Amino acid sequence: MGALAGPVRVGPRTAPSRVVFGPHPTNLARRREISDRHVAYYARRAAGGCGVIVTETASVHESDWPYERAPLSVDCVDGWAAVREACRPALVLAGLGHAGAQGSSAYSQQTLWGASRIADVASREVPQVMEQAEIDALVAGFASAAALAVSADLDGVEIDAGQYALLRQFLSGLTNQRDDAYGRDRGRLLREVLGAVRRALGEDRILALRLCCDELAPWAGITPGQLPDLPGVDLVTVVRGSGLTTHATRPDLHTDPGFNRALCASVRHALITAGWSPEQRTEPFSARDQRGGPAVVLQGSVVDPAFAQAALEAGVCDLVEMTRAQIADPGLVALVRAGTPERIRPATLSNQRTHVRDPRNPIVSDDAEPDAGHEMETPAFPVVEPRDVLVVGGGPAGLEAARELARHGHRVRLAERSARLGGAVLLAAAVAGRRRMGVLIPWWERELARLGVTVETGVHVDAAALDAAGRDGTAVLLATGSRSGLRSYAADVPVVTAAEFAAGAVLPDGPVVVHDPVGDWTGVGAAEQVGSRAVLVTPDQVAGTQLSITGDLAPATVRLDRAGVRRELLSSLVEVRGGVAVLEHVWTGGRREVPCAAVVDCGHRLPDDALWRARPHLVRAGDCVAPRTLHEAIREGRRAAAEVVRGNRGPGPDFRAQGV
Amino acid sequence: MLFTPLQLGPLTVRNRIVFTAHLTNAAVDGRATEQHAAYYAARAAGGAGMIITEEHSVHPADRPYEKLIRGHDPAAIPGYRRLTAAVHAHGVPVLAQLNHNGGQSSGMYSRLPVWAPSPLADPLFREVAKEITVVEIAEIVDGYARTAAHCVEGGFDGVELQCSHASLLRQFLSPLTNLRTDTYGTDRSRVVAEVVAAVRDAIGPDRVLGVRLCGDEGMAGGITIDDAVETARRVEPHVDYLNTSIGVATSTLHLIEASMHVPRDYAHSIPAALRKAVARPVIGVGRFGDHEQAQRALDDGVCDLVGVVRGQVADPDFARRAPAEIRTCSACNQECVGRVGLNRWLGCAQNPRAGRESVPLPPLAVPRRVLVVGGGPAGLQAAATAASRGHRVTLCERSQQTGGQVRLAATAPGRAELTAMVDAPLAECLRLGVEVRTGVEVDAALVERLAPDAVVLATGAVPELPGWAAGLDHVVDVRHVLAGDAAPSGRVLIPDELGFHQATSVAELLAARGCSVEIMTPGMVVGQDLGITLDMENFHRRAAAAGIALTTDRMVVGARAGVLVDVLHHTVGATEERRYDWVVCASPPRPDDALWHAVRGVPVHRIGDCLAPRRVHAATVEGARVGAQL
Repeated sequence: MGALAGPVRVGPRTAPSRVVFGPHPTNLARRREISDRHVAYYARRAAGGCGVIVTETASVHESDWPYERAPLSVDCVDGWAAVREACRPALVLAGLGHAGAQGSSAYSQQTLWGASRIADVASREVPQVMEQAEIDALVAGFASAAALAVSADLDGVEIDAGQYALLRQFLSGLTNQRDDAYGRDRGRLLREVLGAVRRALGEDRILALRLCCDELAPWAGITPGQLPDLPGVDLVTVVRGSGLTTHATRPDLHTDPGFNRALCASVRHALITAGWSPEQRTEPFSARDQRGGPAVVLQGSVVDPAFAQAALEAGVCDLVEMTRAQIADPGLVALVRAGTPERIRPATLSNQRTHVRDPRNPIVSDDAEPDAGHEMETPAFPVVEPRDVLVVGGGPAGLEAARELARHGHRVRLAERSARLGGAVLLAAAVAGRRRMGVLIPWWERELARLGVTVETGVHVDAAALDAAGRDGTAVLLATGSRSGLRSYAADVPVVTAAEFAAGAVLPDGPVVVHDPVGDWTGVGAAEQVGSRAVLVTPDQVAGTQLSITGDLAPATVRLDRAGVRRELLSSLVEVRGGVAVLEHVWTGGRREVPCAAVVDCGHRLPDDALWRARPHLVRAGDCVAPRTLHEAIREGRRAAAEVVRGNRGPGPDFRAQGV
Repeated sequence: MLFTPLQLGPLTVRNRIVFTAHLTNAAVDGRATEQHAAYYAARAAGGAGMIITEEHSVHPADRPYEKLIRGHDPAAIPGYRRLTAAVHAHGVPVLAQLNHNGGQSSGMYSRLPVWAPSPLADPLFREVAKEITVVEIAEIVDGYARTAAHCVEGGFDGVELQCSHASLLRQFLSPLTNLRTDTYGTDRSRVVAEVVAAVRDAIGPDRVLGVRLCGDEGMAGGITIDDAVETARRVEPHVDYLNTSIGVATSTLHLIEASMHVPRDYAHSIPAALRKAVARPVIGVGRFGDHEQAQRALDDGVCDLVGVVRGQVADPDFARRAPAEIRTCSACNQECVGRVGLNRWLGCAQNPRAGRESVPLPPLAVPRRVLVVGGGPAGLQAAATAASRGHRVTLCERSQQTGGQVRLAATAPGRAELTAMVDAPLAECLRLGVEVRTGVEVDAALVERLAPDAVVLATGAVPELPGWAAGLDHVVDVRHVLAGDAAPSGRVLIPDELGFHQATSVAELLAARGCSVEIMTPGMVVGQDLGITLDMENFHRRAAAAGIALTTDRMVVGARAGVLVDVLHHTVGATEERRYDWVVCASPPRPDDALWHAVRGVPVHRIGDCLAPRRVHAATVEGARVGAQL
């Protein structure tokens, strides 16, 4: 066990490990309170060995209501106290912030507050320019929120000057164009806040800061070289990104894990050497020697404990924020301590479930750990005599069902038709830029081997085999996945499905129409992969409309443009004849033609449910019920595992709603 | 005839104005709330003949949106009792709409597969549904009956079955979504007949049962009016009335909640056809804006009752008031449709109390003398609210006419109904005795002379061109064009930083004058927020017809006389020079807040654009807030 899983001094307190669970929107709040759901969510990570938990950022002033379930500090005291009680020995810090011009007026029905009269790129809403009265109210708001955190006996607070932060907006030339004292000295407001918060906290609690150190906008934004004064700060989490690049702060799987390593190392170096004499600066830099100054946290898609440990050893940081990694596996630190890091469920970083800043208020969760965010509603697995179970299909639903059954002592045989395990995950990981989706497959393989599941690939199971299994008293679970769906257009050129394309189907020379009526990651990825001869045809106003929640919508457009992909928006594909695709504008009905030598069809898929139709009394899970995403397949795999050992049989409804 | 009572089965309604079903997002944890009670009661108090509430879901796996009333759960009943008592207190009957959204849904909240007649993906939700089994159909039919029983127990006078906007029953009725080969596919209205029978059984003969049918899905191959007539004839013997609709919520919503660009009588053909075919009373819906139009529809035999939703959202007293006193809905769709689609409470750009009926107003204060500076929507609303609360109000407007930017915006093609937003509050001001003075420029000296107890600054915002436009001829703001201060011709570029009607309005105006127009946005979509007001689709049709070019992902970063502009294609980092005859900027204006620091010795409140330039709803709510808090 390296330093990662061991204790660390943070200012006046000691954390049980160097792994941080950073603040993030969860939509677990009730009204604007930290709820019992939050408590269960954080407690699970604390029990798994997390060292420092920063609760979901709470607004410090009623002028800030950035999303409907954003916590409000005055409503959080009881919830914070409950988190404190439930999370020992982890340190608990209250995330405190104000989103400023990056907020929303939809819920407060009031103006946004801003440093200057500059509209946020996303909302296009012009803020009210803060005058001294508003600035004073903001500073007082941070101080009184910190006092509330003390009253809840938290270990301290983390002040947000990162993404979605008014304090960052004051630090940056992109958003602060004031000509008063707060503009001439852009660090002034932050210093005033830090001072007021320190006074409210006293000396025995932690003052942490989430600080944007690179806005990726060097023409006016914060750059790594310009570190503000940080009086009294015990812990600094180094982040990047501005309102122009909100996706860059917690990017999806297109960005490599650990991308902030160099930035963090430079900030830590600057903090340590800030007070040094020229002589000292020539001394060899000792990574472990802090010589005072704040401890530094590495943030940014860190998912691998070995990477985190190496960063600690190299002096990049003193702690490591692994937020999405601990959403995916709350027991990450415990598994490191046990010497079995290979058992950690990998985070895909797809952002499909972990990013919830969306008006629909989805609950935070994970692709592969559907219980994340739902800690209070996870049913216990039934306790029954060990049974023999046949799981048909080695995609995510089948793999997870087999794992769940074996974990509870059942004897499992998993039969997969193809030569490899993974099912639709293999295809998802073959999409350009989405290789990381595949990290789960070797994990499942290791888990099934460890749990003694009999895995058979290249095996065709028919109805007679199911009947034979039934006669032997073997329970059967069907997870047979999906097949390609119906096409709405005729074509006299080769048409390959996205699955066939992902599996390596070769396209003829010439222009390729990528037909994407779905608007998720598949069509965009296929078009990127085809490159400059691709014509992406979508009925939507943007390519990849469903990517907005993951943060990849704008980056996807950039990638498509740079790859030379032509986007045919608001278009349906009518037919392809004689090397020409006929497109119709979905609203005007206007038709136009584009050259087309082949089509990659990214349309909806259909359940591959032939076996279930033959034996509809059997329990089924995942895409063979209805083709959806990894998250649903895994959740249903677990639920079906419980159903099958209970001996439940059809022909009743699949997954009857229980208490929802 | 509009105010002639009518018999609906066991019920007598006092007039023909119905507050028909629509989403409010007022539910909490699947239950009807105090807000529901206050909201519906306000329309009952305002004279509506009958109220039909938003949908109540009949099955636990049906969770299309977060704030859905879950009628299948008996825990809904106490909330029902509160709601129905509040409406009945005004002598108005109230029905509950029952629904299952079927495949027009996702597993986001239920974490379960969605159920539909056939395994298809809805155009909006895009989740392939599970084809439901016959056993599951029976479970759903049972869910309708059970939910209907809950509604009766909760005091409702009856129920309405939604077979229209977003409904499993419509999905069974439509050839587009019902591909089944069993008897539920060969007889597509079978399931509706089963539900009607089961619900009638559950509620008995003393309660009203209505069915709301879609007469036109607005999609090729979808339900036609002939299909609707056939279904109506089948269910007629068992129901007390028929309601109508046009469009599908998840693909052709712009037909359901048509904006001001759509002629008011656009949906008349559907109730008219049904009314010819059946003897039961028929409700017509579709942008009924005033009494006269409603009366005409009744006179013309289009329908027996009129559904007025937005009209009664904008003015809860729509039915009771004299026509000239009604705050007529502009059909702007900004805060009703525009908010509900984003999982927010239903509001109204014209009625600041809409959706907040249960929130008490501050207690009345000592009457004061109030000076309101500026007669745009913020100032007018502030003056009207303040006067309604007993203050003595003087409103001074610099120009010769009140209305501010709204009056200007209303001059654009298709935007004329916006004037209601400022005409109605002006009429209220005059009725309430506000002294409205136009052509009066207020300065600190005048404030001192008038010596009010409080000043409300609602001085708006003035056009401000982007930095690159400094000193250039033929570069103007949208407002210069609408006001007639500039008359662009030839090739016109409209760089749009606002993403709303400003750019599209002026584009249509100039295209109609023969200009060659291009709208350019740094965003991914031109006029992005036209999507939330359901104006996008028809705008594209009009733009295509007018030859307006729509350019995305590009922004002007520099300009020289000519007009030569440097256009940055920011996704690839390339800049090119282009030549236009005129450039018309849709940019954020500058707050006109000169008086804010000039006026001393009296409480000063800033509202609307002079605080931060935003849309009309911000002006209205801030006007109402300050008017109530003085």
